[in-house]
Amino acid sequence: MALKRKKASQNESDDADELNAEIANLEMLTDEEEEEQDDSASFDDGQVDDFPEIVQSSDEDESESEDVEDEEDVDEHSSSENDSDTDDDSELHIFPKAKTVVSQITGQPKLVYPDIEPEYDSDSSTEDAPNRVGNIPMHWYDDLPHIGYDINGKKVLRPARGDELDKFLATVEDPSTWTSAFDKNTQTDKSLTAQELDIIRRLYENENPDAAYDPYEPMTEWFTGKGKEEIMPLSAAPEPKRRWVPSRWEKQKVMKIVRAIRQGRILPSKPKSTTKMEFYAIWSQPTAPVAPPPPAPKLNLPLHSESYNPPEEFLPTEEERKEWEEQDIEDREKDYLPNKYSSLRLVPAYDRFIKERFNRQLDLYLAPRVQRVKLNIDPNSLLPKLPSPNSLKPFPTYRSLRFVQSSGRVRCMSISPEGDWVVSGDENGIVILWEVNVGREVKRWKFSGKIGALDWCPRTDACYFVVTTEETIYFLIPPNLTATVFSLTHSLLAPTTLPPTTSSPVKWETASSGTWTLDKPILTVKLPPASGLPIQTTWHRRGDYLATVSNNGAQGGVWIHQITRRHSQAPFKKIKGVVQVVLFHPSKPHFFVATQQYVRLYNLAEQKLVKTFMPGIRWISSMDVHPSGDHLIVGGYDRKLCWFDLELSDKPFKVMRYHSRAIRSLHFHPTYPLFASSSDDGSIQIFHSRVYSDLMTDPLIVPLKILRGHQIREGLGVLQVRWCHSQPWLLSAGADGSVAVWCS
Amino acid sequence: MESTSQPVIFTTQTSFPLPYQKFFIPTSWRRYHLSQLVNKALSLSKIVPFDFLVKGEILRTSLGEWCAEHGVGEEETLEIEYIESVLPPQKLSDFPHDDWVSSVSCQPDGYFVTGSYDGIVRMFNYSRTLITSSKLHNAPITSITTMDDASYTSNSAQLVATASHDLTALLTRFTQTSDDQEDQEDSNLSTTTTTTKATPLAALHLHTSPLTCITSNENSTHLLTASWDSLIGVWDTKVPGEHEIGDIRASAPGPSRKRRKVVEEEQDEQWAAEGAGVNGGPNRSTVTVVVETKNVKRKAPITVLKSHKSRVSCALFGSQFRGIEGRAYSCGFDSTVRVWDVETGLCEHTINASEKAFTSLALPSTNLAVATATDRSMTMYDLRIPTTAVPAAPESSYMHPSTPSCIALPSYSGPKAQSATSSVTSVNEVITGAYDGIVRMWDLRSTKSAVTSFDAFGNERDKDSKKVLAVDWNAEKGVVGIGGEGGFVVWSFKEDVVSSRS
Repeated sequence: MALKRKKASQNESDDADELNAEIANLEMLTDEEEEEQDDSASFDDGQVDDFPEIVQSSDEDESESEDVEDEEDVDEHSSSENDSDTDDDSELHIFPKAKTVVSQITGQPKLVYPDIEPEYDSDSSTEDAPNRVGNIPMHWYDDLPHIGYDINGKKVLRPARGDELDKFLATVEDPSTWTSAFDKNTQTDKSLTAQELDIIRRLYENENPDAAYDPYEPMTEWFTGKGKEEIMPLSAAPEPKRRWVPSRWEKQKVMKIVRAIRQGRILPSKPKSTTKMEFYAIWSQPTAPVAPPPPAPKLNLPLHSESYNPPEEFLPTEEERKEWEEQDIEDREKDYLPNKYSSLRLVPAYDRFIKERFNRQLDLYLAPRVQRVKLNIDPNSLLPKLPSPNSLKPFPTYRSLRFVQSSGRVRCMSISPEGDWVVSGDENGIVILWEVNVGREVKRWKFSGKIGALDWCPRTDACYFVVTTEETIYFLIPPNLTATVFSLTHSLLAPTTLPPTTSSPVKWETASSGTWTLDKPILTVKLPPASGLPIQTTWHRRGDYLATVSNNGAQGGVWIHQITRRHSQAPFKKIKGVVQVVLFHPSKPHFFVATQQYVRLYNLAEQKLVKTFMPGIRWISSMDVHPSGDHLIVGGYDRKLCWFDLELSDKPFKVMRYHSRAIRSLHFHPTYPLFASSSDDGSIQIFHSRVYSDLMTDPLIVPLKILRGHQIREGLGVLQVRWCHSQPWLLSAGADGSVAVWCS
Repeated sequence: MESTSQPVIFTTQTSFPLPYQKFFIPTSWRRYHLSQLVNKALSLSKIVPFDFLVKGEILRTSLGEWCAEHGVGEEETLEIEYIESVLPPQKLSDFPHDDWVSSVSCQPDGYFVTGSYDGIVRMFNYSRTLITSSKLHNAPITSITTMDDASYTSNSAQLVATASHDLTALLTRFTQTSDDQEDQEDSNLSTTTTTTKATPLAALHLHTSPLTCITSNENSTHLLTASWDSLIGVWDTKVPGEHEIGDIRASAPGPSRKRRKVVEEEQDEQWAAEGAGVNGGPNRSTVTVVVETKNVKRKAPITVLKSHKSRVSCALFGSQFRGIEGRAYSCGFDSTVRVWDVETGLCEHTINASEKAFTSLALPSTNLAVATATDRSMTMYDLRIPTTAVPAAPESSYMHPSTPSCIALPSYSGPKAQSATSSVTSVNEVITGAYDGIVRMWDLRSTKSAVTSFDAFGNERDKDSKKVLAVDWNAEKGVVGIGGEGGFVVWSFKEDVVSSRS
């Protein structure tokens, strides 16, 4: 400390001193240092009681800064007087006081601060090392007698060192050997001092390394205790006015708010915004439904062939290179050619850099921003649960027989009520009676012109069927009947006493008993001229009434014939649209009439319209009523099939479209819960149709089987399907001139 | 190659039994090797080919493949039953018909009898000559049966019963007389010195619907008729002296009796002419004889069996080894097989199947019945299982690719019948004919596939297959007669028969 101070004072007094003089001073000062240190220590002790003086000065207000300046001025004046006094003051002050010195150069007074005392914890460069060669490998001096130079450039001589034996002996004899280490710089052993050992011990024992530190020193009582209480204010200044005058600034602020409230800019009754932070468990809430933004598309990782030094196999041959160059840029498989450079130094600038960056930006720009949530629905779950077709047996599954009738189309076909015989009629005018189970022709009749329709009388005690050709209806009796059935049938169709003829345009003609044979129709009903071909016939369930629909003629072409009275009548004076199909209700005196787009239900007994059904089909082709009489299916040329619940609504309960071509024919099985539909696509579809007596339960419709086997001729497929009455067998007449029997 | 071996025990019901012994058979062996083994083990002088049944299935692959397919381990002992293998059948002769043949019979000694849809019964001898052609019905004949005429002393007489669509069955006697005066004008008939005369004896009047089946019992004393009207008639074969029932046709109104007869005669003549015109072959030039049915006695049934609810498709008498004597067996479209006591006319037993319209029935043993149905199956039923309302489970089922129409069992007739049948109490071979024109032979123990099958009429590829409607199997002579859409053909099932006949 003292050394520095001296040095500073030296500098102040004599800036241009020689370096030698300084060195001389330094050498001189070694002894003085200790003395001065002792002096200062003793001086410090004496000065302890004067400490409150500092407090007073530090507590002074800024307003009293003038006083300080004054004091400084005083100091400046006084400092020149006594150096030792300033030294004492500097000891007490945290920051040393500056001295005002008249500069020798300018002649002006200037402030000179004392040098900072480097103390124990200041940087280590102040430690005096006798050898000043620095941090160099010391073996450079191995061959020399000295080990370096001191600060004055004089050689530092190598200290004497014992040999290995001395070292060993030292470890044995000298107790301080283990606390000493070899100092390369001085080439001597340096042992730790007792003080340093004490510091090490303290650190080792987690104590304060400063030995002088007393953690339990008694507290200095400054303000407590008897006689030390402060009963008077520190300052005698009166209370300022601002302490008791209302604040004008506050008033302005309040008036601003009041004005804002009056103008409605601030709503005083505004509910308190919940600015208060509330704690909540962030993981307890479900995550937001919005998916996180999709990550940017990743760059492809570089391939081996993109290396500057790829393996030989990646290098293109000359032909490949040529081919690549000839190709259009869009056609190239990869947009670069592998190149080989022997070293990274030879790699040229990346010529495609801009292009690649551009493409990358384009990729990022065109990347999808929104993640489309895929609709994950199992398509099977959308299908209605239907029972397995195997559990709904029996139903027809295969073609048992194929009865080839002719080369023409087989338009119509009918099965006897017992389900043993089939009559089928084709467009060549041939009607063939054959056995269902064997498929053997038994009898045939020839008529002129197309056969329009065929229908077997549903009576079981009589046995005959009707055949229609152009404007005519024929009644035929099959062969091999028992005498009782034959006689009843004969008397029914050719009674010995004819009922009184009524005035009707329809003529009933019975074949004369003398010339009639089974080959000829026993009864012929001639419809009025130009009424066209009756395309459909249907029997009332009792077998007494027969309804026919002609494709031409007045009154919609609908005629109802009564066999016992030998009388025909047209039930409709005028009918809108062209009648397609008519049907008798199986249990009620109702009559279904299907025109091109509507199905109307008439009550024949009360002579009025009951209901109109709108199937939404453009052109109705076929219709059948369920044996229970509560359900109706309607098929159309536009491939649709509508299921009506007659009690429910005039709109279809179910609309199905499964055929690829027009539906031609529909039929409900009389006993089994089945119905079949045939189409121009050459296929027949079998459905399970269970109807429940419970009105709340919907009918169960299950598709069972698609039967294929008929060929399509001139766009026409299967023209008519009919069920065998007692068995789950289906018969189908096709445009290919054959009738097929489908068995379960 | 060292192949693994399988322990095997051989059993048989043939007349070539092996001692009960365990054999270790290499798994690579096939039927041929096994057959050679059996032949060598028995040291048979004449080699008899055998077929091998493993667990009810005919061995078609090697033994190892069979074991792998069925998961049988190497340690498990297999029981293999062997049967005399059936030689591939050969077509013997072809008898073209103008119309479909609905029923055939190979039972009479030296003759084949066919009934056709044109109402004509034809008889052929073994040299393929048409002996007689008699138009017995104006409607299609659906079934025929041949019987030994017990009442007629001459052994050249044959009783034929025919069932027809015209609601009657007819009992006709065919007698052969060595009288060639009637055939004077037929110069082609060089070899024929005998003529066969058909004499209708009795008309069986019961049914109100076309008949499906007529069968006789072993002793040719009784007949069974089945019809669409769900009735079965039991008849004896005695010819009544008087009409047992009145003429039903007399009560029919309409065209007068006389006129009707005239018309029928016209039709008959027309048909006869057609038949003569088409039958232009050298050995089938016999003119169809229109048999006068005026003096035929009308006959009433002894008993009528009523229980079926729908068409009865087949009715059979039980015989000594097939079923029980004094019982009748029937099947119908109402999915039932019924057993009847003929004496009382009551249904003793009913087997309800589910939704199987049975078309044909056969009795391979006392308590078993096999029946074909329109669901393309042939099913075997044990007749001892009790009558229940629920559908009976079949013993086994044999599936066909097409509708099977008829079944035939090997039958033995004539004087050898007793000796032949006494050795065999049950048969395992069954022949079925189907609508696809294929005749199949089944071993009832092998349910998977038929033992052998052949195309009866030689169907052409593009056309519809010709249906087989009737089969009859004379096991004694080893011939199977097949009738159907393509006429009548005879196939041989035994090689020695061919050699003996030729």
